[in-house]
Amino acid sequence: MSGSDQLSAVFSALADPTRRAILAELADRDATVTELTAPLPISMPAVSRHLKALERAGLISRTRSGKLRMSRIEAAPLREAAEWIERYRRFWDTSLTRLDAHLAAVQAVGRATDRTTHGPSTSDSPGKPHDKEN
Amino acid sequence: MDGDNPQIVISRVVDAPRELVYRAFTDPDHLAAWWGPIGNSIPREEMDFDVRPGGYQRWTEVFPAQPGLRVEVHIDLTDVADGELLDGVAHVTGQLPEGIEPHETRMRVEFHDEADGRTRLEIRQWLPGRVVGPADQGWNEAFSKLDTTLRNAHPVAVDIEV
Repeated sequence: MSGSDQLSAVFSALADPTRRAILAELADRDATVTELTAPLPISMPAVSRHLKALERAGLISRTRSGKLRMSRIEAAPLREAAEWIERYRRFWDTSLTRLDAHLAAVQAVGRATDRTTHGPSTSDSPGKPHDKEN
Repeated sequence: MDGDNPQIVISRVVDAPRELVYRAFTDPDHLAAWWGPIGNSIPREEMDFDVRPGGYQRWTEVFPAQPGLRVEVHIDLTDVADGELLDGVAHVTGQLPEGIEPHETRMRVEFHDEADGRTRLEIRQWLPGRVVGPADQGWNEAFSKLDTTLRNAHPVAVDIEV
């Protein structure tokens, strides 16, 4: 599965509240289908189908120990999903750092203009502070 | 998407008066000077702003170092309060960076006065519904728990506020 398809599978799996509830349970401990069904208002076969969807997305793995079939959460695909969202945070952080620099430059020009013209602050005039230096 | 919790929450204080910070978001000349990832530029002649409730902000981002990229951002403004608030849905299309598909994302920016003539920005972003699924609040509940799992599972913490 390509990275993008994996991400689609992960987000698609996470789109269902029951599956998120199952994952939340598995975040605490590995569990059997019976244990996972107990807190949910749905049947065991329905939980099994959700587990298959989670397994297809790589979000859980299933192992058999004796008669028990345990489901275990797999963090790696979740991390990719989190990183996908994190891109947007990084975008904002980068942009806001540039905003800081821009605002500092605009205000510096505004103050310099005040000193030379003794007029009202021209920092209200729209952007392009560097034009004033040309 | 409305009523759901945003996936991204950012609070940031900038050292400039609120009116100026608001203008940095709403005046094309200002916005072009700072918006976007490093390396981009925004052709002034392709910017079209009509900032009011029901208005829009439109621009194109180009990347001199990556000539193939051409990101078109069209924001439909749903809620605008002069000097205080911008809320709208950004439609992102064009030739996008690898791994990013055309999408819509709601963004809300609030401008608040802080002491000493500074301004606090409160930014909220809702990620595209068709990608993150029909995000109800369970998404966030799940993520806060999963975030703990990720922190425990990997040495590098993933910093997502929910």
